[in-house]
Amino acid sequence: MTIRNAATALVVLLATSLLFWPDSGDQEEAVPAGRKEVIFWHFWGGDDRRVVQDIVARFNRSQNDHYVRAIAMPGNNLDLKLFLAVTGGRPPDVINQDDPIVADWAARGALMPLEEIATRQECERLREWLFPAAVDLCEHQGRLYGLCNGLDIRALYYNNTMLKKYGLTPPRTIADLDRIAEEIPANDLPASARPGNSNGGRRIRFGYLPDARRLWAWAIVFGGRWTDDHGKVVLDDEANVRALQWMTSYSRKYGPRTVTAFRQGDQSLPGKSFPLLAGRYAIVMDGQWRTRDIAAAQKREREQGQPVTEYGVCPLPPPPGGRQRAGWVNGNFFLLPRGAANSEGAWEFMKFWSGFGGHEADAAQTCAEGGWIPVSKAVVDQPRFQAFLREQPLFREFVALAAEPFQKPTPVVPGAPFLYREVVSTAESAMYEDDPPAARVLLQRAAKNVDRHLERFNRKRSPAP
Amino acid sequence: MNTGASSTRRRHSRRIATALLFIAPWAVGFLLLVLYPFAASLYWSFCEYDLLSPPRFVGGANYRRLARELLAGEGFGRAVWNTAYYAVASVVLSVLAGVGLAVMLSWKVRGQAIYRAIFFLPSVVPTVAAAVLWMWLLDPGGGLVNHWLTALGLPAPNWFKGVQEAAWPPDWWSGRAAFGSKDALVLMSVWGVGNFMIIYLAALGDIPKSLYEAAALDGAGNLRRFWHITLPNLSPVIFFNVVMGVIQAVQAFTQVYLVSEGRGAPAESTLMLSLHIFLAAFQNLEMGYASAIAWMLFVVLLAATAALFHSSRYWVHYQGGSP
Repeated sequence: MTIRNAATALVVLLATSLLFWPDSGDQEEAVPAGRKEVIFWHFWGGDDRRVVQDIVARFNRSQNDHYVRAIAMPGNNLDLKLFLAVTGGRPPDVINQDDPIVADWAARGALMPLEEIATRQECERLREWLFPAAVDLCEHQGRLYGLCNGLDIRALYYNNTMLKKYGLTPPRTIADLDRIAEEIPANDLPASARPGNSNGGRRIRFGYLPDARRLWAWAIVFGGRWTDDHGKVVLDDEANVRALQWMTSYSRKYGPRTVTAFRQGDQSLPGKSFPLLAGRYAIVMDGQWRTRDIAAAQKREREQGQPVTEYGVCPLPPPPGGRQRAGWVNGNFFLLPRGAANSEGAWEFMKFWSGFGGHEADAAQTCAEGGWIPVSKAVVDQPRFQAFLREQPLFREFVALAAEPFQKPTPVVPGAPFLYREVVSTAESAMYEDDPPAARVLLQRAAKNVDRHLERFNRKRSPAP
Repeated sequence: MNTGASSTRRRHSRRIATALLFIAPWAVGFLLLVLYPFAASLYWSFCEYDLLSPPRFVGGANYRRLARELLAGEGFGRAVWNTAYYAVASVVLSVLAGVGLAVMLSWKVRGQAIYRAIFFLPSVVPTVAAAVLWMWLLDPGGGLVNHWLTALGLPAPNWFKGVQEAAWPPDWWSGRAAFGSKDALVLMSVWGVGNFMIIYLAALGDIPKSLYEAAALDGAGNLRRFWHITLPNLSPVIFFNVVMGVIQAVQAFTQVYLVSEGRGAPAESTLMLSLHIFLAAFQNLEMGYASAIAWMLFVVLLAATAALFHSSRYWVHYQGGSP
């Protein structure tokens, strides 16, 4: 046999063996007799996926009627896959999402409102049971199109050791925050050798720097709004403009190119670690998940016999006339695709996970294991979650903020993904361009774009002439 | 006679049937995967279509929207500007770098093959790997490029994170010009010039020695020989590479998606046409509008290619006359 024949035979053998390759483990498990399958799509990976598998296993053990099969898929094209599945008539029974798409998908008819699967009394109870932010995230035109199972809250993390070193205290007003940004030195060189002085010195630290993506939060803190009383999107509200002007003042002061370069440096930290821990800032805005990183860093310091750096968490400080304990919230929520085969089973699973309807203790365990903020006070009050809060004191502030009325999401309107990108892009223009138009002009321009987009969207939904 | 004719006909039709059978896989694939999407997208470009509900005919509304955005410099207009900037800069620089490298690599020096391999290597690096590599190299804070620029006392641009454009407006004398995200993409595309360079090298080998000998006898120096012999003889290949380069640049997607957080960041400075199509189609679910952009892209590419062909008669020289 020549080498060529041998190679051909090998290729044929490999190709044939692929045909008989056994299915992977997750697909082989059969649905127990007498139970209906619930197909659940999610995008969790890493440690979180183990928590998800555990919840699914607990639910399946608790059930006689339904059996959940969790399918993890990449998050970036989950939307498209869902739409193709809906169009093809075989959608999953339930999916989990965290993008501002509820109203958009609902208006396109891809989602089933909870009112169609739960009784009216149950829905009313649910609204009272949930934190206001958890209702806001899933409500469109007076109906709930999803059930929130975890909230993401942003607050300011501060390095208290650093603040104390320079005689500063955590900020309670925006003026305090500006003063901290002003007084934390750019590096540890003697004052005469710092940037801004003729003899230079590289900047290794900022007291604080606003992030363009967080205009969503600062606008609310400044007393602004993203929708009017009729639910119409408002971008150029006077307080929104003031918030953007304040964010832009940092770029004007330090130079947009310096600010951009320094921000990019945060992305280059090993393992995308928390810039606060690297000492690059005295104060950083971030979500509750960073409490784990801080606990781990402090543990490392203790083990290495180093002095333990003190960190704290505080709400976003308002300017005069602004809002206390306000900010931007997002979260994870379950959605019921229209046309699914087993929406009843999906609804049972959603309640089990979020804790509604007598599942509070289970949900408390889930939230404690995942490090997630519960969506209801009834879950927060469970002993298991209280024990978790005792172990993670910084987490407590986030949970307290979750119950506040001015933790507002990106408006739940059709076209919200476009709206989100437009606002972030506007803030980037204002903060990072060399000679940007005024904040007001930029927001007005964005408002016009968004109005046009929403108008097109609504025209599409109106009946054909 | 009749029997013979009919058997010839039978044989003939059997041969046609066999031929059709052989090309069937390709023909079916072409019809289903190329022709149908092509025709469908043309129809959809006159519709509003969000995947979930049937397309609704809206006449020229999507094209009117494109015209309005083009004039206002928003959305499509922004994407056209970004794409044109990138295409012109990357094609011009690729031709200069490609021809320059090819001429130098044609010199008979020790280790010629090694140099050729080194300059060709970047073009075999997958786009994703190249994008990640360049994001590291051009990191404004910790990147190697800015490290060396700073060491040399030169300004350190923000590259992929900067909204500035080095080439426009051309205000280098003001000291405010800086490289931004599109310039970084151009740099990355010029780095992968190896494919074009290899074609130039092959074409250089085809130039008859006798031309150089004759020029040398007439006393032409190196520069004059390059200008009057090398360049004219390379022009058909330069023309080919310019056409291919324009098409590739206008369709650039993968690297743009990766460096721009998938949304044209910062501040839409990397919102190229293909990314704009992607966002319109799969984020905003505006399939009709996205199809209209795709068709405009097709028309623009066709027009650019036709213009290049038209201009070629003035600067492309074929040995032995026009083909």
